[in-house]
Amino acid sequence: MLRLPAIRILLSCAATGICTGMAYAADAASGPVEDGQWTMPAKSYAATRYSGLAQINAQNARSLHPLWSFSTGVLAGHEGQPLVVGETMYVVTPWPNVLYAFDLRKEGHPLRWKYRPDVSSNALGVACCDAVNRGAFYADGRIVYNLLDGHTVAVDARSGRELWKTTIADMSNGETVTMAPFVVGDHVIVGASGGEFGIYGWLKALDLKTGKIVWTGHNMGPDKDMLAAADTFKPPYDGGVDVGAKSWAGDTWKSGGAPVWGWISYDPELDLIYYGTGNAAPYDPEARVGDNKWSASVLARRPGTGELVWAYQFTPHDNWDYDATGAMVLVDLTIAGKPVKALVHFDKNGFAYTLDRATGKVLVAAQFASVNWAKSVDLASGRPVIDPARQTGVSKGKVSGVCPSLEGAVSPASPPAYSPRTHLFYTSTNNLCMDYAAAHASHLRATPYIGVDFAYHPGPGGNLGAFIAWDATSGRRVWEDKESYPSWSGALVTAGDVAFYGTLDGWFKAVDARSGQLLSKFKVGSGVVGNPIAYRGPDGKEYVAVYAGIGGDWALLAGDTRSDDPTDVREPAEFMKDIARHTSQGGIVWIFGL
Amino acid sequence: MKRFALLAWVILAACARSAPPPAPGASSAPPAVAYEAHVAAGGIAPAGGVLSNPHAGDAAVAKSGAQLFAAMNCDGCHNVGGSGWVGPSLADGRWRYGGADAEVFSSIYFGRPKGMPAFGGVLGTDGVWTLVTYIRSLPMPSDVPTESWEQP
Repeated sequence: MLRLPAIRILLSCAATGICTGMAYAADAASGPVEDGQWTMPAKSYAATRYSGLAQINAQNARSLHPLWSFSTGVLAGHEGQPLVVGETMYVVTPWPNVLYAFDLRKEGHPLRWKYRPDVSSNALGVACCDAVNRGAFYADGRIVYNLLDGHTVAVDARSGRELWKTTIADMSNGETVTMAPFVVGDHVIVGASGGEFGIYGWLKALDLKTGKIVWTGHNMGPDKDMLAAADTFKPPYDGGVDVGAKSWAGDTWKSGGAPVWGWISYDPELDLIYYGTGNAAPYDPEARVGDNKWSASVLARRPGTGELVWAYQFTPHDNWDYDATGAMVLVDLTIAGKPVKALVHFDKNGFAYTLDRATGKVLVAAQFASVNWAKSVDLASGRPVIDPARQTGVSKGKVSGVCPSLEGAVSPASPPAYSPRTHLFYTSTNNLCMDYAAAHASHLRATPYIGVDFAYHPGPGGNLGAFIAWDATSGRRVWEDKESYPSWSGALVTAGDVAFYGTLDGWFKAVDARSGQLLSKFKVGSGVVGNPIAYRGPDGKEYVAVYAGIGGDWALLAGDTRSDDPTDVREPAEFMKDIARHTSQGGIVWIFGL
Repeated sequence: MKRFALLAWVILAACARSAPPPAPGASSAPPAVAYEAHVAAGGIAPAGGVLSNPHAGDAAVAKSGAQLFAAMNCDGCHNVGGSGWVGPSLADGRWRYGGADAEVFSSIYFGRPKGMPAFGGVLGTDGVWTLVTYIRSLPMPSDVPTESWEQP
């Protein structure tokens, strides 16, 4: 019965050649009625990465097989995900940020067009870790996405013609852009990377029609820079006038990082957008005494004005590069018998948080991986109970055995999925610990502002990663599929009760969402750091698409998996000596079906 | 410091750009030199542009170069010890733009495509030579092009 309206929407897309936009999120938890498309990075405003399609299910997923593939011609890490709008699939590559539009109606899916923006190669030296791009957003007939060198572009979804291009970030100040934009109403919301360059982190809104910048809200600094007003900014725990500046020694907030390179979600009822901020800069915490608000935090703003409504800091005075840029997933849960409008977040710091998304108060905080920097999170104060022996700083020298590593218990680039059918979250995890020796760093414009010497070690158990199912009401892991390598892909779950993810050694896997049992796997040619999607093709059948293309963080991968530069030949990483035996670089779009 | 750097720049620019004074019997055509290396891919530095490192092999200078490598945030891209991160490894014995002292000098002083900043302006000639001396002091492995996971 649910099919009929979905098919009608698809037909209207076919008739006009393009869809005019998707239905407003009727239910923040499950998103709009399933239309078979994938028009925004996380499928819905609620960021659940849940598809209501059920043709592929736990019974038949064993016969999943690859049907189509396409080399993007680019070798950097292929994070992010394709979009499917009507009968077209859109793919954004890492730098040089080519946008491909594939015609799904035709055999072999030939290109309708490709768009090749002029992106500065200098950006390759300002991006901290790899030249990644986390995807595009479809709205009002436009494909909107960000270029690594600090621009946002809007491209006509039908013709591929550039509609506008706006400079949003300043590379000469260490800003690049890797995140996917997020569109709410007439506003395109964007942020910049640069936590390793000491930027003054911000979020901006652009006008969807013209590209003009409408508002800019900083993630720290005085209230006026943060768009925080005393009567409307109500953090659930600690606040006060200009706390975004006063919680930093001197004027260190001006180069304190707190970038925005992850994901944004939106609750239409509360009219709030939610996003996480990255690490505080530099990596030596003694260079910026104080809580360093609001780095490593979640912020809730009004999309229309940018007004800051609440903020909560997961890792006060970040000592370990624990960015909080991972997804903020909006779901309606029942906790202790009471319905809760929740926000669920898997943090780099190893805790999974369930917050009240109206107020920011912490309801549940539990370890989803090996953690020793903090014992727990005190629900009364919202603060972690820190182990002083794991605190870092130049005066402390090398601090050994901190878990998780600065790669995070999960990479923020690897977003989770939530199924309203199983009431479970699905996420990749990393099982790495580290030695961390902070060092002095000098702030020199557009050069890295880091200051750390670090080494990774396998965490307890020896497996370097896993894919897990998580109950966010109780803070409990339900099942775990161990992986030999750090698990760096996003998750997808469908109404067929199948969860999908990829591995760093290049397997794309389908597992039973209820038990974690492996249903099918296929070697996709390169390690997977992208996020799978599900969609209904023009033939009415369900398909699953994902990128292969290892990369995203050359500190993690040691560069041993590269073959593209004969003058850059690196030693294998001590903690992961044989990853290059199983994969090398590549950039491939895959489509799977029954 | 700044003035010194500027002076160094002027001298370098003069070295690179000045043409020899017209000699008696000067020709409108360039001298015909049958020297095939001049057309080699990658380019050949003009003979007048060859630089030499005043600190070559000086261990004390290499040590202060190591400090400079951290202070100028070189390690933020090339990693501690130059082992490579988002920027290429400087410790593998292989060089995108050449590994001779003068070539490494040019890479640091003038920058390179794809994001290597030009540090000549802030470091000056001597600062750049100090870094070159450090980088050239890194223990270079013998070139082993094969990586094998099989037991011999």
